[in-house]
Amino acid sequence: MVTEAAAGSDETLAARAAAGDSAAFDDLVTRYQHRVYRLARRLTGNDEDALDVAQEAFLQAFRHLGSFRGASRFGTWLYRIATNAALMHVRARARRPEESLERFLPGFDAKGRHRGTPEELRVAAHADDLLDRERLAKHAMSALARLPEPYRVAFVLRDLEELPTDEVAEALHLKPATVRQRVHRARLMLRGYLSDIVEERS
Amino acid sequence: MRNVTCESGVKRLMDYLEGTLSGPVRIELETHVAGCPLCRAFIESYRETPRILRGATDAAPSPAQQRALLAFLRSQRGRGA
Repeated sequence: MVTEAAAGSDETLAARAAAGDSAAFDDLVTRYQHRVYRLARRLTGNDEDALDVAQEAFLQAFRHLGSFRGASRFGTWLYRIATNAALMHVRARARRPEESLERFLPGFDAKGRHRGTPEELRVAAHADDLLDRERLAKHAMSALARLPEPYRVAFVLRDLEELPTDEVAEALHLKPATVRQRVHRARLMLRGYLSDIVEERS
Repeated sequence: MRNVTCESGVKRLMDYLEGTLSGPVRIELETHVAGCPLCRAFIESYRETPRILRGATDAAPSPAQQRALLAFLRSQRGRGA
């Protein structure tokens, strides 16, 4: 098996692919297909769309290799293309209105204190121990789909794909502070959602 | 010194965890949290939320899907994509 180091950096492969080396492009696809597919699935909410988006994203990347100048990392550039392809896909699809996750934001009393006991406030931290794996997976995909799109995109890139905040900002053309604000909002809603499904379990 | 509440602390939580809060604001928040079991419980679940969602939404294309993707891209290149 050829290691990534031996095959060259992403940027080297991209330059070779741009110069017409199709094996170099295949290497990039092999290297990134898992991440692009997973990102697309998290943004679109299903396997079938994820495959379509992965195809579209790699095709666009191939067509635009000439415009990849290495100003950003290849991965960041590809994530931007894949994110845009996923969003085009989601927007083109007729959607039924989803119930918002706003109601899962944390609640406070008149003095600004958390509502609930420490045990209730903590419970989401153990959602993966307390819930059946399949059920949690289903709820998690549904919750992502119900996040408002700007929050979903920021959360998926930052917290699920684990890109550093400044790379997410670069990929989405946002300020890092805006990315943090959106990720924060998504975390609050998802945390509340997890608490809710854990409590419903009983 | 301002009076940090759970609510005002939650607003700053992401900035706190990312290390972008100024020194005095960070210390005020830490002081509140040290004396607040509600916030400690809340923060624990807030911090774990990304990990739980990450695990629950992980997926990989199957080997057949991976082969299909490469074949599709090769066919498109052959057409001068």
